[in-house]
Amino acid sequence: MLSFRTTGYNGYGVTYSPFFDNKIAVATAANYGLVGNGKLYILNIEPNGTISNQISWESQDGLFDVSWSEAHENQCVVASGDGSVKLFDLKVGQFPVMNWKEHQREVFSVNWNLVDKSNFVTTSWDGTIKIWTPNRQESMLTLNPGEVDFTTKTSPVINTAKPPAPPMSHNQKNQPFNTANCIYNATFSPHSPSTLISCNGSSHLQIWDIRAPHPLQIDFVAHGGLEALSCDWNKYKSTIVASGGTDKSVRIWDLRMVSKLDQPMSNAPMPAYHMRGPTPLNQMLGHDFAIRKVLWSPHDSQELMSTSYDMTCRVWQDKSNERARFLNVGDGACKGVMRAHKEFTVGCDYSLWGEPGWAVSTGWDEMVYVWDSKRL
Amino acid sequence: MDRLNQLAGQLSPSAKNSITSKNPDDVVIIAAYRTALTKGGKGGFKDVGSDWILTKFLEQFIAKSGVDPKLIEDVAVGNVLNRAAGASEHRGACLAAGLPDSSAFIAVNRQCSSGLMAIQDIANKIKVGEIDCGIGAGVESMSANYGPQSIPKVTEQLQENEQMAKCLIPMGITNENVAAKYNMKRPAQDEFAAKSYNKAEKAVSSGAFKDEILPIESQLAEEDDDDNVTWKKITVDTDEGPRKGVTAESLGKIRPAFKKDGVTSAGNASQVSDGAAAVLLTRRSFAEKHGLKIVGKYVNTVSVGVPPEIMGVGPAIAIPHLLKKTGITVDDVSVFEVNEAFAAQCLYSAEACKIPQEKLNLNGGAIALGHPLGATGARQYATILRLLKAGEIGLTSMCIGTGMGAASLVVKE
Repeated sequence: MLSFRTTGYNGYGVTYSPFFDNKIAVATAANYGLVGNGKLYILNIEPNGTISNQISWESQDGLFDVSWSEAHENQCVVASGDGSVKLFDLKVGQFPVMNWKEHQREVFSVNWNLVDKSNFVTTSWDGTIKIWTPNRQESMLTLNPGEVDFTTKTSPVINTAKPPAPPMSHNQKNQPFNTANCIYNATFSPHSPSTLISCNGSSHLQIWDIRAPHPLQIDFVAHGGLEALSCDWNKYKSTIVASGGTDKSVRIWDLRMVSKLDQPMSNAPMPAYHMRGPTPLNQMLGHDFAIRKVLWSPHDSQELMSTSYDMTCRVWQDKSNERARFLNVGDGACKGVMRAHKEFTVGCDYSLWGEPGWAVSTGWDEMVYVWDSKRL
Repeated sequence: MDRLNQLAGQLSPSAKNSITSKNPDDVVIIAAYRTALTKGGKGGFKDVGSDWILTKFLEQFIAKSGVDPKLIEDVAVGNVLNRAAGASEHRGACLAAGLPDSSAFIAVNRQCSSGLMAIQDIANKIKVGEIDCGIGAGVESMSANYGPQSIPKVTEQLQENEQMAKCLIPMGITNENVAAKYNMKRPAQDEFAAKSYNKAEKAVSSGAFKDEILPIESQLAEEDDDDNVTWKKITVDTDEGPRKGVTAESLGKIRPAFKKDGVTSAGNASQVSDGAAAVLLTRRSFAEKHGLKIVGKYVNTVSVGVPPEIMGVGPAIAIPHLLKKTGITVDDVSVFEVNEAFAAQCLYSAEACKIPQEKLNLNGGAIALGHPLGATGARQYATILRLLKAGEIGLTSMCIGTGMGAASLVVKE
């Protein structure tokens, strides 16, 4: 196991470069991300087994996630606590090459489109999802799950700079802070350039097709009313997704088994999923605290990894299919537990170009570990 | 600070966020009102029946809520004492109040929870898409219908049956059973009852009920010496039950009502009353389409069974059951309205559920205000929606004669 210490900064997001087998980007925040600066590290795994810091940038607020550009090998984009989204170039020191400020609150996730490669998605605690392209000053599209009519708000900036004025009862201004509308994570499908999945603080998992006039395609409660913190697409099976949340379970869903959103019209009833939700295809239990990230393997259609506040990373095997739900034979679904972290484990990624199973993780103990998930 | 709160919420998770979140298919409350509660046999409604109370109340209710009556597809009315739960005369009352005959009607009777069951009936119909908008209500005239005629008739051969006999025990005796089983002492009950009186009296004199009470017209029959009846028109707008200066000591002097050595007295039991209450429910998407202002979100209602001979423990079973079903804890609930059928059973239920006194029946309960059986469940909604602040969760509950408990969750918006 290789390690690198991000001294003074607690790790949030970590990801392997899609272009180089030895390059890793790490998004971090000082003071556990509660208040203070952030820092983006670009790390190189050297041939002699050490990890070196190629370049790093400081930011005004904590950085909560990072994603490499799929189009440009030297660029990566970060999600910042002050609501900004920043694009950094490895050849340009000190400052980001782009800085977008549209989200009203903490940006919590960023994910590059794997198919289209020209755009990426961010999600924020302001309750919106935004789609961006690096060469435009404004976001291209804003998705707002809190809206009843489910239509999109497109640029110009006057529409996207602030969340669209909500209809009367959705006005939350006078309410104490609650996380129901926080969107924690959104990920583009690796099978379609226009489909993405998102999850939020009121337990909803939502599938969007950004081409459609009514982009919300599927909407259901995934974690029994508790917060859904992370979601990801299976890289081999286009209808299979995984989600994790504060109910401590990783759940696998087959989207074909969840009813499509009927007409979201005011005069037509919709399936009442907002209390309990449908039944998952599989459920992985083992984490002792909330799950912060779930991620499918790029090499194995049955393997996934999760991080949790219980300070572990776990590797799971999902053998279920549409004819055999909850199929966890043998030792159960858990293939291994990585216990090196000494604080909350938050970010993780699978190596794309290395040997299948190689992984990287980071957490609040200021550590980045590169490890082999086959040898736990 | 938000970041820290959020993290804390993720480490000790609760489904509160999911409950307070707003979805297009939520069942929401547009209006919740009640009449003043009057004393049975001698109050402002003593000479009119439940049908009159309901008619006059619904007239005001529809006007106040501002909803087009044509949108109301179903009306459920809870009632306990009328023959057939008022199935005929309350349908008549709905039409007389100005609802179109296209609005369907159902009479509901699950004893003291009937008003809540009426709300649940309408809410569930909205949830599954059978209707878009409806009224859940409750009405009771204990003046007219409480008495020997309400004693159940049981086939002679079954009268000796042990289980049957349990369901025929007078309510006061079931409370004596609860007090004996859980060792609830008389002084604690009188203190609880006195507090209820004090809170209710304060609420009445400070005008705290002004918003939830719709003043309605009533008629008093006045007989002269020759038995000629003249009818006098009055307006009923103030609760008659609460009294000034009630203390635990003054209640302590009242003799037990059901057993010589018992603990249940007229002072620490609910009052015999007349009144009505109603809640207008719809789907959120429907409310927004029609520009109806939403005051709350209906979340869930559960009913549970308990031994009939200690029916007063109903809330102690129903409340934890509801919290478990909805994934929240007592701490997530800001206000509790637990019906005070008797001080002993209410106090026991609150203690069993670990409900803090400062969250319980803030404007007093049935001991001071009265317990018009079929109306109480809906009355609690009218009250609790004024006690909650936006975003807070409220819980209503009651025990149910013949051994049941019900509990319901609502969010103020």
